Amino acid sequence: MSRINKPPDAIYKELFQQVPYNVAVIDRDFNIVEANQNFRDYFGRWRNKKCYSVYKKLDKPCKHCPAMEVFKKKQSVVFDAVGIDQHGRNTHYVAQVFPLKTGNRGKIDYLMEMSHTVTETDRWQQEYQILFDRVPCYITVIGEDYRIVRANEAFRENFGDVLGQHCYKVYKRRNTKCPNCPAEKTFKDGKVHHSTQQGIGKTGQKIHYAVSTSALMRDSDRVAHVIEISDDITAIRKLEQDVIEAERLAAVGQTVAGLAHSIKNILMGLEGGKYIVSLGLKKNDKEQINQGWDMLERNFDKTTSLVKDFLSFSKGRLPELVIINPADLVYEIVDLYKDIAAQSGIELKCEVSSKIKSAPLDRDGIHTCLTNLVSNAIDACLMSDKKGTEVVISLTERRDKLIFEVSDNGAGIDYEIKKKIFTTFFTTKGGEGTGLGLLTTRKIVKEHGGNIKVISQKGKGARFRMEFPRKRLASLFKQSKEKE
Amino acid sequence: MKKKILIIDDEPDVITYLTAVLTSNGYKTFAVSDAKDAMESVKKVKPDLICLDIVMPRETGISFYSKLREDKKYGNIPVIIISGVVETGNFDFHSYVADDKLPLPESYMEKPIDVDNLIKTIEDLTGKIVLN
Repeated sequence: MSRINKPPDAIYKELFQQVPYNVAVIDRDFNIVEANQNFRDYFGRWRNKKCYSVYKKLDKPCKHCPAMEVFKKKQSVVFDAVGIDQHGRNTHYVAQVFPLKTGNRGKIDYLMEMSHTVTETDRWQQEYQILFDRVPCYITVIGEDYRIVRANEAFRENFGDVLGQHCYKVYKRRNTKCPNCPAEKTFKDGKVHHSTQQGIGKTGQKIHYAVSTSALMRDSDRVAHVIEISDDITAIRKLEQDVIEAERLAAVGQTVAGLAHSIKNILMGLEGGKYIVSLGLKKNDKEQINQGWDMLERNFDKTTSLVKDFLSFSKGRLPELVIINPADLVYEIVDLYKDIAAQSGIELKCEVSSKIKSAPLDRDGIHTCLTNLVSNAIDACLMSDKKGTEVVISLTERRDKLIFEVSDNGAGIDYEIKKKIFTTFFTTKGGEGTGLGLLTTRKIVKEHGGNIKVISQKGKGARFRMEFPRKRLASLFKQSKEKE
Repeated sequence: MKKKILIIDDEPDVITYLTAVLTSNGYKTFAVSDAKDAMESVKKVKPDLICLDIVMPRETGISFYSKLREDKKYGNIPVIIISGVVETGNFDFHSYVADDKLPLPESYMEKPIDVDNLIKTIEDLTGKIVLN
């Protein structure tokens, strides 16, 4: 059996020098009696110096001296402290001090202090803490039991001191988990999930927030903690609602202007009738009197039908939103107009994307819009000299917008009319129209938070597009539910 | 010789009214209800003045106006725009046209018209007629 030789002392000396710590040996009088090169490089010259003057550049021992504790208890201690390096910079270090048993009977004359600087780590930790607290959004960390483990400053300001409480209690004053909880999904699949929610602040104020959840810590295969980052979108929500309201008011203003225009036209007819009757009376021309009287009668009738149309136009301020399948509405309109169109030699086509999901819409309102657009399109085809005219109703969805389109290849619309088409009681149908159709359509679309556009070239037909952003529909639907 | 006025308006009542007003004030009137046929009427009638509506079904008054002003022979005929979309004293003609360089019409009037003002404007633009 070969004997293992004890390594020569030189190896221990080398180890002392090379160990990646700042190592110093200190006696009972705080003198540093030995130190390695790392220590020298970090804290500077040490020979004939006291430990407190080297570590902290002090002229007397530290208030709480860990070395004294080790001498007393004869046990090693770990502590962290802030010192000053050889360049005068503050340094944060973690140290382990242990007794060196050199003499007999367990007497301790020296101890060894091994320190390791953590200044960088400490700075990162501080930065992370500031970031966590000061970012302008709410951050919470929740455990598997949905209790809040950590919450940042912004969160605490708005929701109060919440550590240990259930997130659903804090966010929404609920006693059970929220339906559609994004954190629950993250706990299940470890992926990032987003949703928008409405919560209640500590003073009872409504808070809208967009939340995203991600797995914070993984414990083998399962997610042990989820971090919830929420952005307060209350102000944005308010703005969105203000915009919808402003658009609604603008529509009312334009309606009044439009009404004035329509009345002006009727007044012109009445004035004309009056003028011709008085001319006839002056000349005793019975034929002229009759002509004027007819004009008066016709324009009185127009007033009646305008008032009727106007009343139906002003009916109902908020749309009555019900979840319906938008495609059904399109099919209904096609059924309604198929025969009328065919009789005039116009082909009525319908293109409905198969991916359309149901949406909250005012059924009668959208029905009216489509009826107006389709009957206008048929009229435009009738007005055109072309053969093989067609009207196409389509329903698609793009970028979270529900899009209805009614297009025709009929007469098309002039630039000048296009500019005024939705804003005044414009009619290009001579004495037949009151000009309310498109205005009504626009009003209904706006009330749904949507938009209507016209794309047309004279002689090449027109395409009317109604767009309904789903987000706005959802927010209006929520509002109408709250009012109930 | 009587001055000739061409009325372009799609509303039959407006044509009847303006015709009655103008003939009883000594003008000879012609009317056309479709702006698309109006250029032809201009060439045929050679009017001294045109009363023009804006909103008409197949072609707007503005489109006709642009064409008229481009015409070398008839481009200088004075035009009074008579329309419901016009507000007397507050009408931004160029907000209706794509071409900013299009010269302004000689006058514009709001419906319903003020008969005296219409006659005075026509007199100013065509020269006064002495009725027998």
